This record gives sequence, C-alpha cells and structure tokens, in this order.
Amino acid sequence: MIPTGTALLKVTASRIVALTGLVVLVGMMPWLSGRGAEYTILRAKYSDREPTPEALAAIRAELGLEQGPLAMFVSWVQGVFAGDLGISWINSTPVGPGIGAALGVSVTLMGFAIVAAAIIVLLICVPAVRDGLRQRRGQASGALPAALTSLPEFLLSAMLLVVGGVWLQWFPPFGWKGPEHAVLPALALGIPAGGLMGLLLSDAIRAAYGEKWVATWRLAGAGRAQLALAVLRRALPAVLPQLGLVLIGLTGGAVAVEKVYAIPGLGRALLGAASAQDIPTLQAGMLALMGLALLVGTLTTAARYLLIGPAVRLGTLPLAEPPRSAVHRQLAVPAVSAAALLLIIGAGLLRDPYASAHQRLAAPTWSLPFGADASGRDLLARVGHGAVGTLGTALVVVLVCLAVGIAVGLFPLAATGPLEVANAAPPILAGLVVAAITGPSAQGAALAVAAVSWAPLAAHTAALAQEARAQPYIQILPVLGVGKAGIMLRYILPAVARPLLRHAMLRLPGVALALAALGFLGLGPQQPSPEWGLILAEGIGYVERAPWAVLAPASALVLASVLAVSLAGTGSGSGAARPGRLGNPAAARAEK
Amino acid sequence: MTGTLAAEGISFAYPTRGFRNKQPAETLRHVSLRISPGTSTALVGSSGSGKSTLVRILLAMAKPSTGTVSLGARDVAPGPVRTLRWYRRAVQYIPQNPAGSLDPRMTVSQLLMEPLRQLRVEGNHRDLAAQALERVELPARAMHRRPGELSGGQNQRVAIARALAVKPTYLLADEPVSGLDLPLRDAVLELLDGLVHEGLGLLLVTHDLTTAARMCGTTAVLSGGSTVEQAPTGQLLESPASPAAVALVQASRGLQLPAPLQAVAL
Repeated sequence: MIPTGTALLKVTASRIVALTGLVVLVGMMPWLSGRGAEYTILRAKYSDREPTPEALAAIRAELGLEQGPLAMFVSWVQGVFAGDLGISWINSTPVGPGIGAALGVSVTLMGFAIVAAAIIVLLICVPAVRDGLRQRRGQASGALPAALTSLPEFLLSAMLLVVGGVWLQWFPPFGWKGPEHAVLPALALGIPAGGLMGLLLSDAIRAAYGEKWVATWRLAGAGRAQLALAVLRRALPAVLPQLGLVLIGLTGGAVAVEKVYAIPGLGRALLGAASAQDIPTLQAGMLALMGLALLVGTLTTAARYLLIGPAVRLGTLPLAEPPRSAVHRQLAVPAVSAAALLLIIGAGLLRDPYASAHQRLAAPTWSLPFGADASGRDLLARVGHGAVGTLGTALVVVLVCLAVGIAVGLFPLAATGPLEVANAAPPILAGLVVAAITGPSAQGAALAVAAVSWAPLAAHTAALAQEARAQPYIQILPVLGVGKAGIMLRYILPAVARPLLRHAMLRLPGVALALAALGFLGLGPQQPSPEWGLILAEGIGYVERAPWAVLAPASALVLASVLAVSLAGTGSGSGAARPGRLGNPAAARAEK
Repeated sequence: MTGTLAAEGISFAYPTRGFRNKQPAETLRHVSLRISPGTSTALVGSSGSGKSTLVRILLAMAKPSTGTVSLGARDVAPGPVRTLRWYRRAVQYIPQNPAGSLDPRMTVSQLLMEPLRQLRVEGNHRDLAAQALERVELPARAMHRRPGELSGGQNQRVAIARALAVKPTYLLADEPVSGLDLPLRDAVLELLDGLVHEGLGLLLVTHDLTTAARMCGTTAVLSGGSTVEQAPTGQLLESPASPAAVALVQASRGLQLPAPLQAVAL
C-alpha cells in the first residue's frame, strides 16, 4: 500500500512514536530492572555483604535509583547528548570507550560476514541468470537447500566450530587476533544471510525473466550482458527492503557467533552486561546497535529510491506472467523431518531426563542411543523432554502473537512504526533487554520472542483485512446498518481467522528455534531444565571428547529448522514478505 | 417515513492523492435530483459521469463538498450507524453485482434478517424475511441455503429481497441488471416495476436508455459531473436537447433490434 495524504502523516507519526518509544524503553531500563538489579549488583560487587534492607538501600542510592524513573531518564538523555554514556554498575568505569572498541570489532566482523554472504549470493544467483539467458524456466529454489542455508547462527557456528576448528583444524577455533580468526565466524554469519538473500534474489531474477518486456528486448536485439544487467536492475528493488532486515538481523546473529568464538565484540559485551544486569553498558550497546540499524535502514531505502526512482509507484511496475498455477508443494521434506522429530520426542519422553544414571559423557550405545552428557544424564531423554518444553512454550508464544497480530493488523496505518521496529528487531536483542530487566528466565525468553514475533502476523492480518474490506459484501454493510465494530468483529474477523491460524502454526518451529537461541545464550531457562539451546550450550564445552553431546541437540534443532523452512515455503508463511499479493481471496471466500 | 428524497446542489471532489497532484478533479458539479414515492427515475450517463458517486452520496456513504441530501424535512449526512437508522429503513440499495454483495458464509435467512436486526425494524423478523423472499418469488426452502448453493439469478433476487425486507420507501438500484442474460433481466425489471406500482420510489442507475425507456417516467442525464438534462423519458427520446443525451439516444438506437427480431427476443 502506498500511503497518501493523511495516511502518510499517520504512518510517519507512527514511526516517530515507535522510535521514541524504543529510546524511552532503553532510557528507562535502570528503573525497570529495579529490585532484581539491586540483588545482582550486591552479589557481584560486594559478595561479602548480606542482602539486608540497609545494604540494598545503599546500592539503590549508589546507582541513582532513588531519583525516580523520569529524572533518571532525563539525566541519561542529557548524558548521551554530552557524550557521556554512563558508568558501569559492575566495575564503576565509564562505559563509552569499551563499547566503542567492541563496536569496532563487531563492524569488522560484519564486514567479513557481508563478503562471505556476497559470495554465497553470487553462487546462488549465477545459475538463475544463466537459465534466464538460455530462456530456460529453471526450477525455483527447493526446500532442502533453503533449509540448509537458514540454520540459525548459533547452531551453524557451533557446527562450523566442530568441523572446521576441531576436526579438520583448518582454522583457529577461538579468539580474535588475525584474519584467519575471522573465517569461521564470517561463514557462520554469512551463510544464513547470503543464503536467504541469494534465494530471494534468484527467485526475483527468474520472475523478472518471465516479464513481457524481456521478450520485447530480445526481439529488439539486446545483448546478453545488456539483458542480464536490466533484469538485475529490475529484480534488485524487490529484495532491497529484505536486505535491510537481513543486515539488521546480523547484529542479533553476531551475539551468538561472538559468544561461540570468544570474539570481544559488541554482542559479547551486551551478553555479559545482560547476564550481570550491568544496565548502563547494555544501554550504551543498545544505542550503538540502534544507530547502526537506522544507518542500514536509511542506506537501503536510499538505494531502493535511486534504483526505481521517485515517481514510479509499485502499482506501475510490470507483472510477471504467472508460472504454472499448480502449486508445487514439496511435502516429503517436512513430512520426513516431522516424523523424525516425533520419533525422538516419543522415545525421549519415556526416559528420565534428570537422573545422573550413566557414566559421564558415555558414548552412544543401543540402550543409550544419544549417549550421556557431562553429568551422566540420558541425552535422548533430555532432548525429548526439551522438545516439550521448547515447543510448548513456542505454542503459547505463537498464540499470543496471533492475538496481538490480529488486534494490531486490523488498524494497520497507526501500527506501521511499531510493526517495522518489531519486524526488524532480532529476537536475541529483545532477549538481552528482557533478561537485563527481569533476569534470565523461561518466561523472560518467551516474552522477548513474543515481543518481536507478532509483526509478520500483524502484516498478514492487515493485508487480508484490506482484501476483505474490498469485497462487495463488506462494502454494502453500512447500508444494512452494520456499524464499524460489527463489520470488524462479525464479518472481517471470521474471514481472516482461518488463514491466519494456519500462518501462525507454520511459525511454530521458527519460534522454537528463537527460544532455543536464547536458551543457548543463557538468556532463557536455567539449569537443570532440559531446554534444547541449553543442552547444546552444555555440550559444546566437551565437543572434542564427546561430539555426541553436541550432535544430539544439534540434530533435533536441524530437524526443526528444516521443518520450519519447508513449511514456510509451502504455506502462507512467505506471504508476509509480499505485500499486496497476500492470501487467496477465492480460498478465503470458499471457506465457510 | 414519507416525503421527497432530494439532493440539492451537490458537488463532490475525490480527495487528492499525494502532494504533487494539487488540482482535485470535481466528480460532481451542482447536481440536483428529486424522487417521490411511487415514481421511478432513471439516472443515465456514460461510465465515469459520476452516477455511482451520486448514489454513494444519496446513501450517506460519502459527504458532498457542497449541497445537501434530505428526506422529507430532515437533512442527511454520513455519520455513526445509530444516527442513520431511520434513513436506512427508508432508503435501501441494490449494488452493482448484487450477488457479490452476499456474504458467502451466511444463509439466506441470516442475510435477510441482518438489516432487520441492525436497523431495529419492528415486528417479527422471521415473518418479514419470509414475506420479502415471497415477494421476489423465491421458494421458502431457499431460506436455509447459502449463496454458493444458489444460481446467479436467485442470488440477485436474494439481494433485492434483503433491500425490501425493511420495507423501504425508496430503492436505489445501481445497474441491477447489467450482468444478467435477457430473460433474467426482464424478470428483475418486471419485479422492480411491480414494486413501483405498489408505491416504492425507484432510482434506477443505468448506462442504457432502453432500460430507462421501459421502466422510468423521468430520466436525468448526467454528463461530466453535471445534470445536463432532466425530462420525461418519452420526450427525452423524441427530442434530446443536450449533446450528451443525443449521443446516448443514438447509441441506444444503434443497438435496437429490427422490429420482427425484437418481438422474438422479448
């Protein structure tokens, strides 16, 4: 939808409100963290003191928590404008210089990652360009390669560490001293980013080759290079907004990658600050990340503007001839991965996940198929029980997101700002903020993931509702005396509910992976609960002696990723990325 | 509620899109129209002449930039549902593509009862719905069907029955027969004709003068957003005064069948 007139004003106002809200949230963090933080700081700084009311009051006074939320926020904002980012709560040194150095490391790492991603994009797109030049329709990207390139960064970096750093010993596994240290982390960040961008771009290129003007150019005798360049120029604007999101997403992925490879970047600094509840450090880091995200967003918007020009509206761009209308669904991949996952869960649920009944790091045998972890606990049982915890939480998160998404999506213009912020914010960053405020917990992780996961559902709701509103049977309702609320609740809601429920369920594995990522980083459930990310984090220290301690949770997570991506490909999950062509009005109408 | 349905000096301009396009195009300029119960008026004009916009304004679904719509002594303007119930009970509407205006999830009975309930019509709603269904000559068993289970012509009748269920004084019909084959077209027009004889005030929006000639005593010609001619239909057909009316009359003559064939077709 292209905003016009008052709509544009509404959208702009909504964006400003969302951004201001974000700044206020960051500024309010010390006050929000309140009581929990006092205990943590007391334990961290003065481990000899008892948590008496007097001691806690002293901490409060020392941290400036007595001033009340507004005064704290104002003094923080004043400090920021004066170049003073605050004093660390833990070691009482200024926060600014450390964050600056960490930002430098992270930006360098992201630079390497972008190079890796660019190579992968090239590898994926060259066949698409070649197919188009040879006038072959070629196959759209399959589900399995898509799934393999979309493993979450924390899982990929763990796997690359095992393979490239430990088994093959081609690259140093830890540290940040020279370019050779950057290879594995850059791959861990670049493969998912480049994979996603490459698949989107190659699909856009194939679609562009199907447009009518290409045939006209061919008849007019355009050269191969000329044609390829024109197609590329046509395909790029469609994927640029996604590029912005992917680049911002790198900041979230960097947290996990920097932790695994022990890189002294911004992500690791934030993670340390969040688990120690060192709020000033976290505030400074979040500010740096928001600045980075704003810069990236502005650059991609500017690039898009330069490519398609100011006058061209989306509606005037040519449309591709629709390829075969038969929906080509690859059901084998999701079915096999779902079955394997169910088998693991079923077998694991029958066993005890807490008893240390086995030898430490026992190797897999027939009676102990996945081996045992460092405490001698049955890994199959832990992975199976972990599935229930992780997937169960994910189900609750998804249902909450569905409710929020529908409520927000029915008022799309006013929600544009929060929607864009939530859509761009990586769940890991949300997890950092929540963990810093409430301390790490399963509920905190769920809250963090829910806080950013409602956005695609809201966007889908908005698109479906817009489509429903255009139906003649909705348009006539005012004449029949049906009021605005009645139209919304009794007509539009039933029309959009079913496709949205399906979309929400398709997001389930993805949400489970986000929860696992937080668990892996220590921002979710704590020991000894069997949570997938936590099991992986526990196993990774023993990867050289007992690779199965990593293999068991990693394979469950890989199965979940494959399931997530292959489901998103077959259903409406990908719909949210394509505004204006969402859902299927005929199908929505046919449902009774 | 009886009295004349009147639009006086209506002008309308669609809001400008974007900032660059500063000149709003006026869709309607000082259009006036009066309808009384028991008469039928045709509103003709080529597509884009502003007919549908005028209907939206008459339905209080769009606000004119100048001019007023009134029923009897009361002025009408777009607003919340509860302030307009009396007007909606008196003035009902059959949209273009009436069959598409039926929610596919609802049964005919639910469709017919919805306006009765929403507009707080007095009396037994079930009986009123049944009467409306009978009036459009649909069998009572159609009550429990959904639009998907009925034919296009039957759905058209359901849409008309829904408009009639609240016993309106006026009916605005926007190209109600445009998508129908000839026999169905005749049946629907006959039904509307009968309603006018029973005292309904009908405004029939059409681009086709033949329909106007058959149905309506008065015809108003809309061209470029203004009423260029308003006259008894017969007089308009005999001696059209404005260029727009001349063009419409010529176009309808060109379409007319030779007399013998016409007899067969009707």
